[in-house]
Amino acid sequence: MSARRHRVVITGMGAVTPIGTTLNELRAGLRAGTSGVGPITLFDPATLATRIAAEVKVPLSELHRCDDAAPGQLPPGAPDLRWALRDRKVSFALEAGRQAMAAATACGSRPEGPGAASVGVGLELFSMEDLAALQRPGFAPPAGAARQGFLQTPADLCARMLSLRHGLSAPPLLLVSACAAGTDALGVAQRLVASGRRGFMLAGGTDSMINPLGVAGFCTLGATSTRNHEPQRASRPFDRRRDGFVLGEGAGMLVLETLDGARRRGATIHAELLGYGCSFDAHGISEPHPEGRGALLAMQAAVRDAGLTPADLDAVNAHGTSTPKNDPVEALALQRLLGARCSAVPVSATKSLIGHLISASGAVEAIAAICGMEGGYVHPTLNLDDPDPACDLDHVPHQARVHAQRYVLSNSFAFGGQNACIVLGRAPA
Amino acid sequence: MTGLCVTGLSHVLPRGEARPEPGCDPTPFLRVRKNRKFMGLQDEMAVVVAGRALQQAGLSADLGADAGLYLCSGYIPFEEADLQQILRWSLDDGRFSMARFAAEAVQRAHPLLTFRCLPNMPAFHISVNFALQGPYVVTYPGAGQLYQALELAAAALLEGRIARALVVGVAHQQNFLVRHHLARLEPPVPPEQVRDAAGCLVLETEAAASARGAVVLLRLGALRLEYDPAAPELAGDASEGLGAAAPLVYLSQACASPQDSPGRAEPLHHEVAGRDGLRARSEWWRG
Repeated sequence: MSARRHRVVITGMGAVTPIGTTLNELRAGLRAGTSGVGPITLFDPATLATRIAAEVKVPLSELHRCDDAAPGQLPPGAPDLRWALRDRKVSFALEAGRQAMAAATACGSRPEGPGAASVGVGLELFSMEDLAALQRPGFAPPAGAARQGFLQTPADLCARMLSLRHGLSAPPLLLVSACAAGTDALGVAQRLVASGRRGFMLAGGTDSMINPLGVAGFCTLGATSTRNHEPQRASRPFDRRRDGFVLGEGAGMLVLETLDGARRRGATIHAELLGYGCSFDAHGISEPHPEGRGALLAMQAAVRDAGLTPADLDAVNAHGTSTPKNDPVEALALQRLLGARCSAVPVSATKSLIGHLISASGAVEAIAAICGMEGGYVHPTLNLDDPDPACDLDHVPHQARVHAQRYVLSNSFAFGGQNACIVLGRAPA
Repeated sequence: MTGLCVTGLSHVLPRGEARPEPGCDPTPFLRVRKNRKFMGLQDEMAVVVAGRALQQAGLSADLGADAGLYLCSGYIPFEEADLQQILRWSLDDGRFSMARFAAEAVQRAHPLLTFRCLPNMPAFHISVNFALQGPYVVTYPGAGQLYQALELAAAALLEGRIARALVVGVAHQQNFLVRHHLARLEPPVPPEQVRDAAGCLVLETEAAASARGAVVLLRLGALRLEYDPAAPELAGDASEGLGAAAPLVYLSQACASPQDSPGRAEPLHHEVAGRDGLRARSEWWRG
């Protein structure tokens, strides 16, 4: 339980997203302002109010480039968990993890010390088809390992499969703070590495709720956009005509290690994870505190943890869901955080391009922010044609803006009032 | 010793306990009564154990931003009746029909179903009823991950980031979906061991507890977590049926019934060996 403080850097990133299933594809899509939203194809949404989403376009079979299907790569006697690949988010996490670890070890060595996984993960996949089958007379559930994935796939397998695949021998963390989970996974991982309690972390988030129950659940809550006739214009954070979020899917995984360790082994450093803060709204179950109390607390805590002040921030990757309630509250909290600088700190919302990746959103958006810092640009917020006066910020509508950044704040706010923020810094010289 | 102590401790086992246990009515702790309709059993249990532990610790229900919540939720619960209601209006010739599901089942499903099963909702209900605005960790789904939350709470206290921590484990196990999962494990969790359960402890530094004159129930002697992801899929230990709540239920029962426990001079030990490859052990000394 040491409190000693190491600087924590990011030496590997992997992403599976609706606009690309490699880091380079994602980077290009962010810069170009590509929308990943379209009609739902993973199932027939029939007459559901929302029939659009941001799907990962590559078939799962192509994503299994990793993979646990090669038993020789697993420790002898390790359990066969391939049945869990039925769940899209497991496949996404494995591929993003593979990419991140490959990048982190491209210099020829692994990060130092025992590693662990820290994963923000979404709800367990539940199959209505399986439930229907159970009702049929004479139906026998599958036997053997496949039985473990029948009806419902346990979400905790993700961390175990990542640990097996990459030899992570320290206890994994599985975080379920909904839309804040990906950011929480990064923040907690940063604390563990900074304090010396873990050598390195493979951290991020993964989710896919583009299934009948998932989409229907959000429809029932009235949370998702019904702009079915023009999918690519549906996700419009901070715009006056926004009508809800667009569900996305994917995964983002990052390798976190100490700055000293990364330098010793000559790893490429993408960014520094400087600070993390989280808080509760302690307010409403489905609406944020009207004055952004919890959001502001989390942002202030992250900036303070980074050893900075709000005056140091150069850009913000907003939670920016495109919902009528959330966007003005986030804008208000940012106005209170940044004060007079509010009109000079660019704010962009990745969800306008890739939709809301729920438990994966914070991790993928952190990667988006790092891509921007590395490339010297802030990616655009799509569809921001008519900014809501209640969301008065320095927006980056339609096109990327050239903008050098040293410090970026990335926000994630969850249904249920959990708020998580991180501060990322440009890679140390 | 870690310099950390427990000043409040409670548990609930609302169904099927051999000896009488306290009930599980969250009403006395509800700051916003209308939120009751959003609460599933896991939420009710979480609020009850948090409220009782805070009372025992002599803390108010206004925890503010310097208290943290470190919570582990059990597997997502779904009652069979709720699922059958959806399925009934989704079948066409015995098979799932998306057209019927979209047109009929979605309209007939209980609108609050989502709120009652999400694993981060126990954290929401604790935050709103005890005005807790500080940091949090919400892990999932078993005792090993409860230990992860406990370790993070301990670190946050020792690093001075929070003044006190609520550590909560909650597992709504007696429902269709969780029973389905526990029964398909090899070997299955014995049904007679599967219980709904929740526990909560209030963790502080000994210095902070002493400064406010709090009664110390337990001192945390040691905490150890190990992991072997390649461990064979062996049965968990006897406390597996209590899920994420098992460590806290053990401690609470030991403190409530000292006659059943080792002598006061002897430490309490708790150990879990989960099927997920996570092994954890803690040592506690009575205050």
